[in-house]
Amino acid sequence: MKYKLSCALVLLVMLSACDKYLAREPDNRAKLTDPAKVSQLLASAYPQGSYMAFAEAMSDNAGDKGTGEADVTNSAPYAFENVPNSDQDSPDNYWYSCYAAIASANQALEACNEATNTEDYQSQKGEALVARAYAHFMLVTLYAKPYDQSTAGSNPGVPYVTEPETVVNKQYSRGTVAEVYEKIEKDLLEGLPLLDDASYKVPRYHFTRTAANAFASRFYLYKKDYEKAVQYANASVPDLLPNLRPWNTTYQTYGINNLPAEYQKTTEPANLLLMTCPSIYTYALSFIRYRYALTPEIQNEIFDTPLEVTGGDWAYITGYVGSQKNPGVPKLNYTDFAQDDPTSDFGLAYGTLCLFTTEEVLFNKAEANTYLGNYDAAIKDINLFLSTRLTGVTPGTLPANRTVTQAKVRQHYNNDYSIQEALVKYILELRRIEFVHEGMRWFDILRYGLTVTHEFVGTGGVVTKTLEIGPDDKLRQLKLPNEVKLSGITDLNR
Amino acid sequence: MRKFNKIDHFFSLSLFFSLFMLSGFVALAGDSNNKMLPGSHILQDTTTLKGKVTDADDNTPLNGVSIENLRSRRGTTTNASGEFSIAVQTGDQLEFTFIGKAPKTVVYLGQTFLPVALSKADGALSEVIVTGFQNLDKKKFSGAATSLKAADVKIDGVADVSRMLEGRAAGVSIQNVSSTFGAAPKIRIRGATSINGENKPLWVVDGVVLEDIVNISNDQLASGDPTTLLGSSVAGINVNDIESFDILKDAAATALYGARAMNGVVVITTKKGRSGRQVVNYTGNYSTQFKPRYTDYNIMNSVEQMSVLSELDRKGWLTTNVLRGGNYGVYGKYYDLINEVLPDGSFAMPNTQQAKREYLLRYAKSNTDWFDLLFRQSFVQEHSLSISSGTDRLQSFFSTSFYNDNGWTLADNVKRYTLNFRNNYKFSDKFSAGFLTTGSYRQQEAPGTISRTANVVTGGYDRNFDINPFSYALNTNRALTAFDDKGDREYFTRNFAPFNILSELENNRLKINVIDLKLQGEATYKFTEHLRYEFIGAIRYVRSTREQEVNENANMANAYRAAGTSEIRRNNPFLYQDPENPSAEKVVVLPYGGFYNRVEDQLLNFDVRNSLNYANTFGADDEHDLNILIGQQIKYSDRQNASSNGYGYQYDNGGVATPDFRILKQMIEQNFPYYGMSKDFDRFAAFYFNAQYTYNHKYNFYGTVRYDGSNRLGASRQARWLPTWSFGGAWNINEEGFLRDVEAVNYLKLRASYGLTASMGPATNSNIILRNINIHRPYLTDVETIIYIANLANDDLTWEKNYTANIGLDAGLFNNRLTTSIDVYHRRSFDLIGLIKTSGIGGESLKTANYADMTSQGAELLIGGQPIVRKNWNWKINLTFGYNTNKITRSEYLPRIFDLVKQEGGNLQGYPVNSLFSIKFAGLNATTGIPEFINEEGKTTSAVFMQSDSVRNLKFEGSVDPKFTGGLNNTFTYKAFSLNIFITYQAGNMIRLNPAFKNSYSEWDASPKEFYDRWVMPGDQTITNIPSIMDYYQYVLTNATPFNYPYNNYNYSTERVARGDFIRLKTVSLSYQLPAELLHKTNFFKSVSITAAAINPWLIYADKKLKGQDPEFFNAGGVAQPVQKQITLSLKVGL
Repeated sequence: MKYKLSCALVLLVMLSACDKYLAREPDNRAKLTDPAKVSQLLASAYPQGSYMAFAEAMSDNAGDKGTGEADVTNSAPYAFENVPNSDQDSPDNYWYSCYAAIASANQALEACNEATNTEDYQSQKGEALVARAYAHFMLVTLYAKPYDQSTAGSNPGVPYVTEPETVVNKQYSRGTVAEVYEKIEKDLLEGLPLLDDASYKVPRYHFTRTAANAFASRFYLYKKDYEKAVQYANASVPDLLPNLRPWNTTYQTYGINNLPAEYQKTTEPANLLLMTCPSIYTYALSFIRYRYALTPEIQNEIFDTPLEVTGGDWAYITGYVGSQKNPGVPKLNYTDFAQDDPTSDFGLAYGTLCLFTTEEVLFNKAEANTYLGNYDAAIKDINLFLSTRLTGVTPGTLPANRTVTQAKVRQHYNNDYSIQEALVKYILELRRIEFVHEGMRWFDILRYGLTVTHEFVGTGGVVTKTLEIGPDDKLRQLKLPNEVKLSGITDLNR
Repeated sequence: MRKFNKIDHFFSLSLFFSLFMLSGFVALAGDSNNKMLPGSHILQDTTTLKGKVTDADDNTPLNGVSIENLRSRRGTTTNASGEFSIAVQTGDQLEFTFIGKAPKTVVYLGQTFLPVALSKADGALSEVIVTGFQNLDKKKFSGAATSLKAADVKIDGVADVSRMLEGRAAGVSIQNVSSTFGAAPKIRIRGATSINGENKPLWVVDGVVLEDIVNISNDQLASGDPTTLLGSSVAGINVNDIESFDILKDAAATALYGARAMNGVVVITTKKGRSGRQVVNYTGNYSTQFKPRYTDYNIMNSVEQMSVLSELDRKGWLTTNVLRGGNYGVYGKYYDLINEVLPDGSFAMPNTQQAKREYLLRYAKSNTDWFDLLFRQSFVQEHSLSISSGTDRLQSFFSTSFYNDNGWTLADNVKRYTLNFRNNYKFSDKFSAGFLTTGSYRQQEAPGTISRTANVVTGGYDRNFDINPFSYALNTNRALTAFDDKGDREYFTRNFAPFNILSELENNRLKINVIDLKLQGEATYKFTEHLRYEFIGAIRYVRSTREQEVNENANMANAYRAAGTSEIRRNNPFLYQDPENPSAEKVVVLPYGGFYNRVEDQLLNFDVRNSLNYANTFGADDEHDLNILIGQQIKYSDRQNASSNGYGYQYDNGGVATPDFRILKQMIEQNFPYYGMSKDFDRFAAFYFNAQYTYNHKYNFYGTVRYDGSNRLGASRQARWLPTWSFGGAWNINEEGFLRDVEAVNYLKLRASYGLTASMGPATNSNIILRNINIHRPYLTDVETIIYIANLANDDLTWEKNYTANIGLDAGLFNNRLTTSIDVYHRRSFDLIGLIKTSGIGGESLKTANYADMTSQGAELLIGGQPIVRKNWNWKINLTFGYNTNKITRSEYLPRIFDLVKQEGGNLQGYPVNSLFSIKFAGLNATTGIPEFINEEGKTTSAVFMQSDSVRNLKFEGSVDPKFTGGLNNTFTYKAFSLNIFITYQAGNMIRLNPAFKNSYSEWDASPKEFYDRWVMPGDQTITNIPSIMDYYQYVLTNATPFNYPYNNYNYSTERVARGDFIRLKTVSLSYQLPAELLHKTNFFKSVSITAAAINPWLIYADKKLKGQDPEFFNAGGVAQPVQKQITLSLKVGL
């Protein structure tokens, strides 16, 4: 009996010992044990999805070439239909990748907050907050109505997630645009001062202070808080000129073949934040070859109009792929492909997105200054920009005959508009040409409620159908993935 | 490191536990030492008694009967003539024991010769069920289990134990998806229990679970990948060492395996030494396997093939464009020759019609027999030697074996050595212990291969550089030749480099080495007559290496060097393009040597069990019988997988390694580090309790509770533990008064059981799973090692579980000449791991969670009969029949079309597990002969989007798993001759025919004979469903539409399925036992028997549509091989 009792005692000891024994993780999974590990996790806090394909196809940069390749991620957005899958380049894919990025940020924040030595985790906390704000900002921009102080409190937003999900089907709600903006602002302002550029191994793929300030300038521009937009633009890139893309100097030496290899490099100072993700939009120059893309007519329209103000020629390198029906600026890396296996031809094509650039900071600042009435400041920046974009011009020193003035801009629009309106229009045109193929035009269309007209061409080049998407069209907001219903959200926009 | 310390600490605790108990026993044992030891006093009136033991049924002598003098504790065994001699004193009790016979005790009363007849044990029911935890009296057992004697199911000449169970036990389905040595068949006990789980039974050897060195799911078994050669966990076991199999099927039988028992358990018991005379056994198997023949398959000969090629030529396929693709045969070679300028200025081939005709004629006449060239009449030998001896204090069993297969194909061969050493010691009546050492070493060669990759475009699988001889012979056209006119090897072009299969098989090989060592210790201490302590502990180490040696002359190496023209440089995917300089030409990055790729797997496994067993029979007339087991188990397995790729190894240059840094750069840029290592940790602990009670020999009750803990779900406490339970009852009807006098009924038992078992699903995220990866960036300098969320935490994650209800009836009639066992069961599997789409707002859009349920039910029947029992004549017949159906009652995941039409089948709610669906064929296009289908939107078109999840237009064909399985075994014995005929069958499943059709054909492809009936001209669509060969213009048109692969779709259409039913003559064997009298004269041999067997000689019935395709085999290339036809001569000698 004595040993039976002892046995029972030993068993009891063993039960608790077992628990420790069974706490061994089953494989090589990572643990967030120190700030460096949290930093590693934060590299996945940037959406690994591309908006370029659908944003570009929805914008007025795209027309119907009549023939040519059309992946469904190109044809469906052009027709303002839903892309029926969640593969790379689809809106659903972008939705999922934003929330995956948010999950990483939240997991990182949890690790920062649970750590005993929280002061060692400050820069990680900063990056997590800014990254979380960015992903939500992109979602609210694409999936909700544009910010307007009068309606933001009632328009549905997107779920703002602030903690890791630990159940299979958690319930969420969309909240309002105002709430989402409020939370973005809070995360951004809390995170920005904590950032430490020295903590990054590859800074251009992370929110440096520069990139975060650029994001802030975009955020406040969209929020129509123009003073802050200028303030953060100045904080982001105080000295614009050396950080603008050297289109009319160095880029001219690259030629058409090496430009794509250089444009999205981390060594290019204009690239403030880069992100690489699976995408077939850039691979093999699809962005130029797609059927619903830049047509020769649209190309002429985009490239010609701003020149009417300045005269001269663009230093932008343009070309054709296959036929003259496929024009474009071959600036995006189109050879990035990872095979599944060293001997297999199958694999994933990757694309790189320039999420923030010096050019955008310049435009944000000029636009905000325009609204603040600082027209001269805005025009000064526009001229700075043009001095790097026109051929035969030394950057920084624009000759008088090429220099933009208030009068020239108003004249360009037949003096129909006030200088403020005319400047904004002109800035939008410059943005359109600078960011062509990159999807940025769609965000401007959303912000300003511009009407998009898409024509469909049948055999013989006859227009068979015209689709007009006005400022209040419900189709402007992307449809939330069907599966979102599982989390209790019923309003999917469409 | 800290974690390891904790584990060590824990094990010292467990060790302490057993030591503590042992020390207690030793103290106790000390008291009784004197009593137990009989001492060695010399007896004066000892005489030697001779006698003979015969079978009471037919008077044949019994060989190997154990005889023990219960006083002197000395023992012996009978020889082949059934004779024995033993030292006795008057009044001694002699106990005779023999497997399958009732033990008999005879008192020596001075007889000069003692004839003993042993009668059959009380039907099959008096046998024992070995669960690995307990040996249970079958009479009292209420679960569903089948016990098989190894001697009855052994197929001489088959080295893998798992393949022997085919058709032997009702409800056990075995599909030989590949029969290469080391590859496991697809084994299911009572069908699938899980949707995404492994569905593999648990193998238990001598009470210890046999852990797999690598986890390969049932579906992966058919992949042909090199890993599959480690798939069979029992490949290292010498068949001759096995005593018996016990297949545990229902919840009551498997209960003591609790959380791992859901898929059933196969318990292997190996042989032990017996006390008595030393017994030496030799078994030698000498086999040969036949080459496959074209007459069995449906492949065109070279003349027919040339006519197809000339059609391809006419249709614009075989222009000089073939040179651009890098894979070309006769025609491509012709273009090369007419362009080749000889030193004298003339062309290697004149560009005339006459010359072309002559050139092509040679190939048309070639009729190459690839099977003959690549296969050989192999010689397989297996030698096994065992020595068993013992006294009452020590029993020892030693065995060793050598298996050598020089290869069915030119590329494969296997050698296996095994060792098994087992000693059992009896220290006292109370304390006994045993040690078991087993080891095996395997050396194997296979054709060099790499893992297949999914073809995301067509949805199929691709395997580059595949040189599997079987699939090569089936897929390579017979107009190509291996030798030229002069008798030298002739090369054609693959991957832009010269290719000859014979050279390639020499230059590209896979070498596999496996070492498997196990040390096991057992101890038993009897506190009292009723209370017993048992300890079992085992440590096992397995290490396997797979080396792929790709010689510098191999096509795989030369493809990396093919850069002869700028055209080739542009098209060859194995050249390197510097991403920093996209306008530069591609360059060779493997200037010297070949590849040396190495994969190493290791397993260290530790398993300890302590248990207490209380057994007592009490009451008047012994009406109460109680047996209680309580125990604890702890187990761990550490697995490690390491791989490294060597580039530029010069095999012919003294093994110098000359890697070019750019190939490493290329690989690293592609995120393929040239080496890798990963670890896997399995921690497991369990507590169990089992009780059995029998009242009045009639009413049996059985119950088990088990509490399992595992780390496999991740480090979260709430998911860690799982209780399982089962209970059952059995009623021995024949013990009732009303049946006791019925002579015809020997036994009749009704049993029922119900219980919960579980299994680990393929999800481990009870806690968040973060993984490291080198993130993809376009430039190497920007690559970072990052952490990403592989799976979010799931607080509700749990085991996959299953309730099983089983009702069975066992009967033995007419002096046990007719025995039968019937089982009916219903299972409800729930909490199965399934994929589920979510809103993605939490960060993971597709989760694996316990979100699927299924039910299955089935019936099993076993009938054994002895229609003829005469003195010289005996006929035994055994029929097994298993029926199983299942249905997925809940699955949230919507599979894509390809998931359902692929040959392994897919899973969809409302259908069975692994259901095969087909794209509906809608006839051939009237003008082009291109097949058309009802696509995912219900439209008739040639294009079907395989990645679509709109599957409502597919046709459900059936499950790929058979509904009915079983076997029929007949043994006829006439005097010393014994003839065995064993037939297996399965039915009720569907098979996808091999993909034979393509949008475009290369010059390499062999055409199946279906092509005779192909669409040739408009109008043919009314008389044939075989599509046309597309012309080049049509091909370009077709390609203009995205995802338009009509011929690929045709392979997955309703036209390309067959029924999987088959009846196979598995073995026919004839044995002859040399007469005992003859052997007696030699005074050396105790028994000699010779067996001649034919294995897989005849596929008696299969669907005609299969046209030679093996209904079990998945022709996946790589290392996969179909079951061979084999003849074996087996010699068994006992000394």
